[in-house]
Amino acid sequence: MKRTNQLNRREFLAAAGAAVSMPYLIPSGVLAAPGRIGANERITMAHIGVGGRGGGLLREIKRFREAGVVNIAAVCDVDENRLARAVKEAGAGVEPYHDYRYILQRKDIDAVVIGTPDHWHGVQMVHSAECGKHIYLEKPACCTIEEGKAMVAAAKKNRVSVQVGSQGRSQPEAYLAHRYLVNGNIGHISRVDCFHYPSPEDNNPVPDSDPPPELDWDMWLGPLRWRPYNRRYCPGSFRWFLESGGGQIRDRGAHVMSCAMWWMGADGTGPVSVEATGTAPTKGLYDSAVLMDVTYTFKNPDWVLTWRQMPKDQLPPAEQRRPDELNRKIRKISRPGYGAIYLGDKGEFIHWGGDGGTWAERKARQWEPPAGAKDVYESPGHMEDWFNGIKTGKKTIMNIEAAVGVANLCILGNLSYILGRKLEWNQARQEIVGDEQARRMMYRPQRHPYHL
Amino acid sequence: MSMNNIKKVSLAAAAAGVMSGVAGAARKKAVDELMAGIRDDSDKVRAEAWLGAGEVGAAAVKPLAKVMSNKDIEVARAAKRGLWKIVRHAGRPGAGNEKRAVVGKLVELLGDEQPVPVRREVLWMLSEIGNRRSIKLIAALLSNRDLREDARMALQRIPSKGAIAALRAGLKAAPEDFKLNIAQSLRQRGVKVRGLPCVKLVPTKKTNVKPL
Repeated sequence: MKRTNQLNRREFLAAAGAAVSMPYLIPSGVLAAPGRIGANERITMAHIGVGGRGGGLLREIKRFREAGVVNIAAVCDVDENRLARAVKEAGAGVEPYHDYRYILQRKDIDAVVIGTPDHWHGVQMVHSAECGKHIYLEKPACCTIEEGKAMVAAAKKNRVSVQVGSQGRSQPEAYLAHRYLVNGNIGHISRVDCFHYPSPEDNNPVPDSDPPPELDWDMWLGPLRWRPYNRRYCPGSFRWFLESGGGQIRDRGAHVMSCAMWWMGADGTGPVSVEATGTAPTKGLYDSAVLMDVTYTFKNPDWVLTWRQMPKDQLPPAEQRRPDELNRKIRKISRPGYGAIYLGDKGEFIHWGGDGGTWAERKARQWEPPAGAKDVYESPGHMEDWFNGIKTGKKTIMNIEAAVGVANLCILGNLSYILGRKLEWNQARQEIVGDEQARRMMYRPQRHPYHL
Repeated sequence: MSMNNIKKVSLAAAAAGVMSGVAGAARKKAVDELMAGIRDDSDKVRAEAWLGAGEVGAAAVKPLAKVMSNKDIEVARAAKRGLWKIVRHAGRPGAGNEKRAVVGKLVELLGDEQPVPVRREVLWMLSEIGNRRSIKLIAALLSNRDLREDARMALQRIPSKGAIAALRAGLKAAPEDFKLNIAQSLRQRGVKVRGLPCVKLVPTKKTNVKPL
């Protein structure tokens, strides 16, 4: 490959010297064609948000570093204890940061992995794109409709590769399920019923207090309106607040409904109406619906998607898998509490999970495609698919447009629940129709300076 | 006016008075029942109360706001959630009169006599259903150090030219440490702002954690 901006020896040594002292790395793009990282070159990464799921992503990326695919240049967190742990995890040569914007200023960093709480996703993704970084973003993509629009626009304008962490699409059994369904094995599918166990309740409420010294509460809140610290907000429990995580429908809906949109060929489409009901927690700080029923009506083609958070004893039982069926790709169902039932005019199909664990019903796993059967894209792995996107410009399997489409379903479901009424949605214009209050809630003003 | 007509008018007025009195008594009963539920010891009873607050409407706004400062955090929370239910119910399409009535009560809670947390919550409620008449009262809080950021965001969300005008005026009057915030709101509303650069990408916070 001809490299138009290859470094000469003197420049290389100067850069290497700087890397030792600063310790910055040579941006991969310098060694490749302009604007593109070479096929065999390491991608230089930084991690923003390294606790909880963000910590899991760091450990995952470390495996790619060991395989020679990436470098890890920096880690960032607003919790100093978590940051210190991440530095140890990532090892020597990795620079710690409290403020992610230092990372965005570094020209040597090609890509960022964002594993922060959901209310930061939109802002950090847009900022990263504006600084030319490729992005792996934990799901759900966004918390409001307008955030989603800004994210799609930022990725397009800055031509960065974005992969959103609805990794169910990249699982081996997701491929088998997809292939089974698109070949008409259950006929024309007119309904997909997603099921999930309830969102938790805060059964031990505590009063507001001072934040712990290691936590920068102001920056944890970021774009959210200010409120006093309460131990129930974090870590992890941000998921159970409508403003940040949005409850199970946004947390796992971004997985299960992601599979549904992918397998139904519905990416880029949206419902015409959304109607939700739910059961609110009776006490405590959490406010997302405990039980929930949401109906999304799609037109042209006509189909119905439902999301139901139900009592655990009403969940469909998990398929029992025989030991002889299990191998490296086909595993036991370890999270049977969520998934979806696909209803066709010739039969039904069920899958469990939808995230890092996606399990397809036996008939899809055992189906042998006849000659002439349609095949579907088989992801090499969610991260690998993203790396391909970075290096080739190819759209990722959970690209930002698709991810925002799925997040919008979750957002609209919650909005209908919050407002207690059915909402009409115009997919082409990406807006709610005929409801002034709901339209205002498509957007949430953000605190200065943590804004889109 | 003939005696007969005067009698008719008087009878009509009396009937209206009786009707109004009946409606008033029914409203008072609904508010009393709601507030009793909100203050109940049982979280289930409290939840039932706040979940049903929407239809009680404007008459319950001030009583609920008062209980939002209750020392029992769960009672205070139930009152806050009840107030939000009223806002979400009043904002439904076709309920203009109810919405105006609720907004009218909410803006009365923006005064200095109310606790800051209540006023902050009210600002966000007004961001969803506030109208042109509420803009001036919200804008007045742009000079309040505790509430100005929430007031700015509430104005940013109200889709009227009056809200933009209030933000422009607020920018002129704002102290230096708040000008960038208002500039952010104006930009979001499509207004070009000169001399106040966007600082969203400027890092400010250093860590004490050292690399290995």
